[in-house]
Amino acid sequence: MGALVKMDNAATEVRTRQEPEQYLTFLLGGEMFAIGILVIKEIIEFGQVTEVPRMPGCVRGVINLRGAVVPVIDLSVRFGRPVTEPGRRTCIVIVETGEGEARQVIGVMVDAVSEVLEIPQADIEPAPGFGTRIRADFIAGMGKVRGRFVMILNVEQVFLIDEMAGLDTAETQVAH
Amino acid sequence: MNLDDALKTFINESRELLEQMEEALLGIEQQPDDAELINGIFRAAHTIKGSAGLFGLEQIVAFTHVAESVLDRVRDSLLVIDAELVAILLASRDHIGSLIDHLAQGETPDAATHRQGSELTERLHRYLNQTPAAARAAMPVEHAQIPERETGRVADTDNWHISLRFGREVLRNGMDPLAFLRYLGTLGRIVRIVTLTDDIPALSELDAEGCWLGFEIVFSSEADKATIESAFDFVREDSHIRILPPRSRIAEYLRLIDALPNEDMRLGEILVRCGTLTPAELDSMLEMQRQGDATEHAPIGEVLVEQKVVQEPVVEAALVRQKQIKENRNAQNASIRVDSARLDQLINLVGELIIVGSSANLIARQIAHPALLEVTYNMTRMVEEVRDSAMSLRMVQIGATFSRFQRVVHDVAQELGKDIRLEISGGETELDKTVVEKITDPLTHLVRNAMDHGIESRAQRAANGKPEQGVLRLNAWHESGSIVIEVADDGGGLNTEKIRAKAIERGLIAADAGLSEHDIHQLIFAAGFSTADAVSNLSGRGVGMDVVRSNIESLRGSVELLSQAGAGTAVRIHLPLTLAIIDGFLVGVGRERYVIPLETVEECIQFSVTELNLASGEAGYMDLRGEVLPCVRLRDVFDVRHSSATRESIVVVRHGARRVGLVVNALYGELQAVIKPLGRLFEAAQGVGGFTILGDGEVTPVIDVARLIELSAGPLHSRAGGLPAAA
Amino acid sequence: MGDARIQLGQFVIEGELTIYRVTELQQTLLDLLRRCDAVDADLSQVNEIDGAGLQWMVAAKREANRQHKPLRFAGHSRPVQEALDLCDLGAFFGDQVVISSQAWEGAGS
Repeated sequence: MGALVKMDNAATEVRTRQEPEQYLTFLLGGEMFAIGILVIKEIIEFGQVTEVPRMPGCVRGVINLRGAVVPVIDLSVRFGRPVTEPGRRTCIVIVETGEGEARQVIGVMVDAVSEVLEIPQADIEPAPGFGTRIRADFIAGMGKVRGRFVMILNVEQVFLIDEMAGLDTAETQVAH
Repeated sequence: MNLDDALKTFINESRELLEQMEEALLGIEQQPDDAELINGIFRAAHTIKGSAGLFGLEQIVAFTHVAESVLDRVRDSLLVIDAELVAILLASRDHIGSLIDHLAQGETPDAATHRQGSELTERLHRYLNQTPAAARAAMPVEHAQIPERETGRVADTDNWHISLRFGREVLRNGMDPLAFLRYLGTLGRIVRIVTLTDDIPALSELDAEGCWLGFEIVFSSEADKATIESAFDFVREDSHIRILPPRSRIAEYLRLIDALPNEDMRLGEILVRCGTLTPAELDSMLEMQRQGDATEHAPIGEVLVEQKVVQEPVVEAALVRQKQIKENRNAQNASIRVDSARLDQLINLVGELIIVGSSANLIARQIAHPALLEVTYNMTRMVEEVRDSAMSLRMVQIGATFSRFQRVVHDVAQELGKDIRLEISGGETELDKTVVEKITDPLTHLVRNAMDHGIESRAQRAANGKPEQGVLRLNAWHESGSIVIEVADDGGGLNTEKIRAKAIERGLIAADAGLSEHDIHQLIFAAGFSTADAVSNLSGRGVGMDVVRSNIESLRGSVELLSQAGAGTAVRIHLPLTLAIIDGFLVGVGRERYVIPLETVEECIQFSVTELNLASGEAGYMDLRGEVLPCVRLRDVFDVRHSSATRESIVVVRHGARRVGLVVNALYGELQAVIKPLGRLFEAAQGVGGFTILGDGEVTPVIDVARLIELSAGPLHSRAGGLPAAA
Repeated sequence: MGDARIQLGQFVIEGELTIYRVTELQQTLLDLLRRCDAVDADLSQVNEIDGAGLQWMVAAKREANRQHKPLRFAGHSRPVQEALDLCDLGAFFGDQVVISSQAWEGAGS
């Protein structure tokens, strides 16, 4: 549709202020990462995950999320690091990516969830071309929080279905 | 509500109507005098034209109009329907179909479609020019017959008067009053129009999506009343529509005014303003209204009889007819159109209910509380009933799918120069809509195949002492929880020796393999059997019977071929009734659990490790009552960790022609599994066909047996032992 | 708001003026009428109008008259003009209908 009523009259005030985006920060392998809060549906405790046979290592398995079968991604393996050992603070962050037909709900396994932060656009620097230990295209930017850098993840890229499904073999070799 | 929805409904309905039209067209070849068939064809075209007009689909309206005009002549016996006309009308039907397909895909018809359209229009026009336009005269005559007894006065106008009060829900139902006016404009000329806005409530109280519009229209048109009326087919139910032909009696106008009691003064003025009535006519009308008060409330039929305008039996007959029409309409309304997404939602919820119910059961058994057990038992029974009736909502009769093959058989028979009759039985057999949608392609292939290769040429049939006309039969029936669809022909049957030779040549069987005739016939479904040189122009296009088989197997069905030399071939497709809920068999491997579709399970065997010559990580064989059964450890195929092989059992699964023993650690028994789709991430998953949620809430993979056998047993020819007899 | 000047409410209706929009427009207009002394509605960007849109226009005009506040529809796009012609309602609104090239473009988009 895209049709809008524009109200330009003196008596009406419109336009929302551009607000700094909010991010969920979490720990993975001792490093701090962030995901934009808008894609996050909920956070649940790590529980019973059913393994799915013959899937790449980054696909940890599936869980029952109130009757829906949701895949769980081992983010550490996806980053080419070792398998995540579940601990007391291990969580599954439920994110929703894509739109329409491509919409997909995914559980992301992380070591621990920290907090929700506002990171003003001014405090976000572009991702460095090299020097990070994960693939550059996974990083949307580097947010500066209390003097520390937080890697803000490019969600669409990190959770690229075809890649995770094992069509990218380089990824899966690291995993095993 | 959504206009897109309305358009979708139009597309769906048009497709249904086109199917009916096709069926009737094919039927009319056999019974050219069947008036009901001709009427059916006409009505289909007429309705499509009318609805297309509402959506402003000029191209469809224009083309269908020509076809409709030809049909009208057939209906009036001005044209005789013959094979050539049937062919043109079938082609016209296809053309309308392709216009609608373009519409459905949101694209404008391409040049080829245009060319086809104008070609067909020209051919249709030839039929229109054959006879003089005698039919036109019918309309005025009809009006002349109306007795002018009620009043001697006739309004002095050559125009129609149309009075419209749209129903409140018209807009919400996806119709636009303005579209009706535009469509009316295609039937004639709107001379004057008065838009009635009196009913529109104040802005603050306005239900803006309700329809509050009315129109008084003076209309000049050559069209007949039925045509003008048909413009409002879609809103007739809930709107007030009155159409007065030119030179109607003033009493008719009076009746129009009486029908809208709240407006009589104003309406009278409007009629004058429109120029439909002169002021003098209005006066005489109002006078009549005053005088006629006593009889006003009697039903119109009684009034007419009282005034000796019509005789009683005529009214009675009319009333009976009216009742029939009403009953007919009720029967039509007995079925409603439901968005299939909503049905899926319901099925999903029922699925959830089954899962929750089974956890309740589990807990009740653990607690062993007698009253609780009884309640959960009753609940389980109810849930099963709810499940069955929910599933039945998705069930459709296969008849509609079968009927579509009338056309295929008709066309292909002509192409092949064979005379083939299609016989359909069991059309009322029901199966899941999703299954129906997916079965059409394989069925088409089988039908074409039977006509091309199965049924012999006329000459050959005559030489074999068979009737020249070949018979193709489509049949369906239910058989123990599944549906069987059969495509049978009375052709020459399969040549067993040729198939055996070819199978040996292709390396599918050993040269000395001792196979039964039946087993050999099944080989035509083997991958790699049919090749380009075996594929004719018709049934082939590079798709062999193995694709038919794998299509059917992807629906968790199976296919079997029965053939008798000289007498014919029958292909039987066995399908599950539904795809959403299956009976499963739960097994355990290490800590993991898997569901195996029960219909693939042949038997379960306990065995001691020594009997199994199976090293870890590779396939082995075991002796099953003298037969060699290839076996595979699920643990190895699925790479399961933490597997302690304390006890092992074998589940013998079969798919199509292959049988494999799956070695598992635990047999938990049967259960009802609600299938959850895999989702995009797992589309390429190997050996897993879906998920289900167990009573304890845990997600469990459902094994895709066909794929698993492929993964574990390798290609067909490496398989040892004979083919199992098909069920 | 405490200003002594006449508060003129202006709004542009973009896209369709149909059943999908009328409930929202109904509120918009009631708001504007409450806060303003006169309202101008620009119809030049309307690319589609249906019976519901037409009803809305009638009801809007009446409401404004009732409140003795001028409501002016301006810049009728081609679809709006067509609809008014179809129903012979031009006189009812009595707004100046100017066929500007802009209006025609608006209709096409």
